[in-house]
Amino acid sequence: MKIISKNLLLFAALLFVYTVLFRFGLSSLLTAEKYIWLWVIAFLYGAAIFATAWMTGRRDGMENFLFDAGLRWSLTTFLVWGGVSEAWFLLGLGARQESIRVVHITLLIWSGFLVLHFILFLVLRKRTIKGIYKSDIFK
Amino acid sequence: MKEDLLAAWEETYKKGQLTLWIFLSLKEGPKYVTELQESIHLFSKGTIRAEEQSLYRTLRKFYHLKMVDFSTGKGYKGPDRKYYQLTPLGEALLKSFVERNILLFFEEPLKALLLS
Repeated sequence: MKIISKNLLLFAALLFVYTVLFRFGLSSLLTAEKYIWLWVIAFLYGAAIFATAWMTGRRDGMENFLFDAGLRWSLTTFLVWGGVSEAWFLLGLGARQESIRVVHITLLIWSGFLVLHFILFLVLRKRTIKGIYKSDIFK
Repeated sequence: MKEDLLAAWEETYKKGQLTLWIFLSLKEGPKYVTELQESIHLFSKGTIRAEEQSLYRTLRKFYHLKMVDFSTGKGYKGPDRKYYQLTPLGEALLKSFVERNILLFFEEPLKALLLS
C-alpha cells in the first residue's frame, strides 16, 4: 500500500482548486457584504470535498473513515486547507473582515481532532487487516 | 438426548469451517458461486450447506484481502459469471492451516484414537 497514492494526489489537487475558489468566493463576498451567499459557497465547498473524498477514497480502498485511508485523506484536507488559507493571508488576499487568527485557531482545534484520529487509527490497526476486523474475517 | 447434543456440537463445530471448505473447493479449481456451493455440499457429504449470499459475502472479503481472485467467464444463458480461484496467498494460507490444524489428526496417537 502506498502512503501517497494516485487517488490521494488527485484528491489533494482537486481540494487545492476547491479551496482557492472557496477562499476567493469568501473574500469577494465579504468585501461585497453579500453575507447570505457565504452559506451557499460554504455548503458547496463542503459538498464538493465530501463527494471528491468519497470517490477517490473508495478507489483507494477506504471503507471506514477511521482506518488508514481515512487518516491520509483527513491529514491531506488539513494540510491543503491550512496551506491555502495561510498563503491567502500572507499574499494579502483576505477581506477586511477576515483574520488570520481564525485560521490559526481552526488549525489548532483541527490538529487536536487529527491527533485523536491518529490514536484511534493506531488502536484499530492492531485489531484489523485492511480495514476488516480480524474477528470478522473468517466468521 | 444424544442426537440433540450431537446436533448442538455440530452446529458450533461447523460455524468456523466455511473457510476451509471454500479453500478446499477452490484448490480443486476455479469455480463460480453456485459451483462452489455444490462442491462444498458434495465434499462434505451434505453436512455443510452454505447459503449463496453467505458465500458472496465471504468471497468479497477474501477478495479484498487478496486471498482469492476471480476472472469472468461466459454464463449459461445469462450474464457473465465470476470464476473464483485461490491466489498464491490463499494457497499458502490453506497449506499452513492444514499443516497446523488438520494433519495432526492423521498422525499417531490421534489417528488411532479417532479410528478406535
